Amino acid sequence: MEINDSQISTGYLNALLAGKRKKAQQLCNSYIQSEKSLKELYENVMKPALYEVGKLWEQNKISVAAEHLATAITEGILNSFYADVIPEKYSGKKVVLACVDKEEHQVGIKMVADVFEMNKWESFFLGTGFPTSELIKYIKEVQPDVVALSLSVYFNFAQLKLMLNKLKSEFPEITIIIGGQALAHATETTLAEWKDILLFSDLYELDNYLRNLK
Amino acid sequence: MTKQILLKTAASLHQPSKEAQNEFSQKLTSLVETMNKTMLNRSDIKNLVGKDNIEMMKDNHANHARFMESVFENYIPEVLVDTVLWVFRAYRSRNFSSTYWAAQLNTWITIYETELSENCNKQILPFYKWMQVNIPLFNQLAEAEIDAPLSSH
Repeated sequence: MEINDSQISTGYLNALLAGKRKKAQQLCNSYIQSEKSLKELYENVMKPALYEVGKLWEQNKISVAAEHLATAITEGILNSFYADVIPEKYSGKKVVLACVDKEEHQVGIKMVADVFEMNKWESFFLGTGFPTSELIKYIKEVQPDVVALSLSVYFNFAQLKLMLNKLKSEFPEITIIIGGQALAHATETTLAEWKDILLFSDLYELDNYLRNLK
Repeated sequence: MTKQILLKTAASLHQPSKEAQNEFSQKLTSLVETMNKTMLNRSDIKNLVGKDNIEMMKDNHANHARFMESVFENYIPEVLVDTVLWVFRAYRSRNFSSTYWAAQLNTWITIYETELSENCNKQILPFYKWMQVNIPLFNQLAEAEIDAPLSSH
């Protein structure tokens, strides 16, 4: 039977809004069992549902609690698939992932971490609330090949610039990849002042990039 | 169509100079403090923002200043239009009065006149004038997406 991603996403959204974690998990499990990939689950089911949750909050149709619950349920489900994400053996490449300083949304970058893992990269996911000075210390310790940053709300763009300036001053050669809802309208010129900064609009684009890396 | 008009007119705004960006960033915290103090001194504040929304108003002022800082550092007309629309929808649906936006923008402009240098103020003022002029359009677009009836205050 043909799986309709949009219908599944609506079902997932309804489960999130009702706070039904078990139902949401079951929907995701059935989706994956129907030979869909985790990337498809993230991009075609979870992402549209979470964007809709944001829109409903914006229109005051759901409470802050409902929004937080939807996020928490989704993060729990991401964790439940971790065994399917981790490779048997890592390629030797490493990525450190964090949200831009002051950001509060980490689901997207958590999905990004999983895409790295699916491509046999060892990921070090730091999430939100990580000051740049601490990130720099951690990068020195782990020595990753790539640093991935997430920006969800545009009012943190100035913060992103500060972060990039500090990171590029400490690690001029490191590749930094950036994504997130706040950068939907970003262009090539947005990040042109720094070297080796890559902007990805979705998980498919990132996956394609990682697959084609030598 | 209305959004296209907003995008077209927003495209004529110019990104402020590095010097103006830096001045705005350096003064951001004190600008927000002055803004909150000035708005809280208004006798009509509860009518403007609605009951129990004072803290949300303060959040809005802090977020507004951070957003404008980001806009001045990397100006993308689509981001400005989409975000202002988002703000109108989010706050109107929580019973902020439509007249709050005019009051807020007027107050920012007055504060900038005294707190910012003439050069910095001259460069950021067009963004505020643009938002002021377009309040009716933003209201119109925001209302179209909100099911709840308009607040009467």
